[in-house]
Amino acid sequence: MMRYFRMHKVFIKQDLKKLMEYKVDFLLGAVGFLLEQAVQLLCLGIIFSAIPALCYTENGVVVDSWSFHEVLFIYGFSLIPKGIDHLFFDNLWSLGYWIVDKGDFDKYLTRPINSWFYVLCEKFCVDALGEFIIGVALVIYSTLSMPENIASGILWWRVLPVIAVMPFAIMIFTSVKTATAAISFWTKRSGHITHMCYMTNDFAKYPAKIYNAFIKSVITYIIPFALTAYYPAIFILRGEAPWSLPVTVLVSVLLFIISQFIWHKGVSSYESAGS
Amino acid sequence: MNNSDVMIQVKNLKKEFRKAIKEPGLKGSFKALFKPEYETVKAVDDISFDVKKGEIIGFIGPNGAGKSTVIKMLTGILTPTSGECRIDGKIPTQNRKDYVKEIGVVFGQRTQLWWDLALRETYMVLKEIYEIPEEDYKKRMAFLNEVLQLEVFITSPVRTLSLGQRMRADIAASLLHNPKVLFLDEPTIGLDVVVKDNIRKAIQKISEESGTTVILTTHDLEDIELLCKRIVMIDKGKKVFDGELSELRRRYGQMRELGFELKNSEDISKLLYKDEFSFSENDLSVEYQGSNVKVRFNSDIVSVENMLSYTLSKVHVKDINVKDADIEEIIRRLYLGGGEEVETTLSHL
Repeated sequence: MMRYFRMHKVFIKQDLKKLMEYKVDFLLGAVGFLLEQAVQLLCLGIIFSAIPALCYTENGVVVDSWSFHEVLFIYGFSLIPKGIDHLFFDNLWSLGYWIVDKGDFDKYLTRPINSWFYVLCEKFCVDALGEFIIGVALVIYSTLSMPENIASGILWWRVLPVIAVMPFAIMIFTSVKTATAAISFWTKRSGHITHMCYMTNDFAKYPAKIYNAFIKSVITYIIPFALTAYYPAIFILRGEAPWSLPVTVLVSVLLFIISQFIWHKGVSSYESAGS
Repeated sequence: MNNSDVMIQVKNLKKEFRKAIKEPGLKGSFKALFKPEYETVKAVDDISFDVKKGEIIGFIGPNGAGKSTVIKMLTGILTPTSGECRIDGKIPTQNRKDYVKEIGVVFGQRTQLWWDLALRETYMVLKEIYEIPEEDYKKRMAFLNEVLQLEVFITSPVRTLSLGQRMRADIAASLLHNPKVLFLDEPTIGLDVVVKDNIRKAIQKISEESGTTVILTTHDLEDIELLCKRIVMIDKGKKVFDGELSELRRRYGQMRELGFELKNSEDISKLLYKDEFSFSENDLSVEYQGSNVKVRFNSDIVSVENMLSYTLSKVHVKDINVKDADIEEIIRRLYLGGGEEVETTLSHL
């Protein structure tokens, strides 16, 4: 295990050196990413300039509502586990898009390290640091600017269990990517499947209650990104959904096992490419 | 052969691929999408061979013969459909991580170096991956430097290296952890004569000094002549020859090629070599195209003189020549040997 940490460090160092070789590419990437986030936040701002709060109604009666600051908090929180996964484990995307298709996976199999780990840590995606930092900044900003009546609902000890569960939330992202990327061992390419599943996390940036039953159960149980964003955020804000913390651990471990199973099955079906 | 001398054991190795049958064009692709049909392709069909410790063997065969598939099974990249291979007693797909520490792999057509970084960085990462102690690393690096002359470009980014430099760097990368077996898949592909020669010398030296067993696939027969005592030839997934190069020469060295041009191309049916002389399958092959005929035969069984006089007594010829078979010719023949054209002409005669 220690060896794997040490190796990950070596890989990160290599990638930082690579970054220095391609400064312009990195800068453009970072600017592009910032613009993307700014546009999304702008949209959120525009919507909330027209409405006082986001409401969930049943038979015309308001059952639950979220203020701009709370939505901002959930949105920001969702970027944290996503950003960490993105930062460290981004290379899984390449697997489904070209590594398997081109036969480049050969390389990972001729090294004395776990092939999944090798793919995972080969790339260190510095761009994602922006995602993480924006997430943290939004959480802090929304908390500080919250009206007194909402802020008073926050109990700070709730942050600790959420942080403890955070690695499991990250693992949900990684496992979903692993499982979908591993499909490429049979189909040669699966990048678009990964993309489709990954994008459902956009739903998880907003309160899960506002969606219809189908989408809600998809993001809670099937591709459980709501467990990485809405539920832990609302637990911090209001103490709601405490059940989500143990469930996150359980679901995450389960997903991890399933994704590893698919990966190992996939590797033994890997067909390489002609040379 | 003493069992402890055996480094690689391959037994009844088979690999089948399921391939979708597609009709040509977009229409065919759509059809295959909704109603896929599959066929099973036997890429490697029941191959067995042993390799001794320290041996350099040439693994040859025409394109698509299954060479790379065998290498990929031996290196643990592909899982065999059936059969097994053991290297130093270990099975590649079981406990892969332990196993690959014992081997080095170079695929001539793709690099394992870190493309965007200085070459030296690749070796630093590999040192970490293979957990090579600092002292061994220094010693090994010095040795590889001497054999492959890496110093000149070790600080250049890999993407700026020439093909010859890159190949040397790749070979060094595969040998850094002092593997017991080195797999070289077309290590001289696309290189000029001088670089080829340097690389061959390096391979020889490494094998001598470190006792590394080398499996080499190549299309360059000079590689084989200079490096390998023994060759294994496969074609269409099957082993067609396994033995020393000299044995190949001895066995096929007696082959002569009689080429002539008929005055009247219908006369071909008058030539019944098989009925006239008692040739076995391997000792005779006849090819013809229009009025040009090529007869390859074993001169141990029937002398050149007898073949000539029989031929001239049966048909009128415009031109005639007799050739020795050189090694390149022998191998070319063996490659063609599986071709259907030759088989049909044989049965006709």
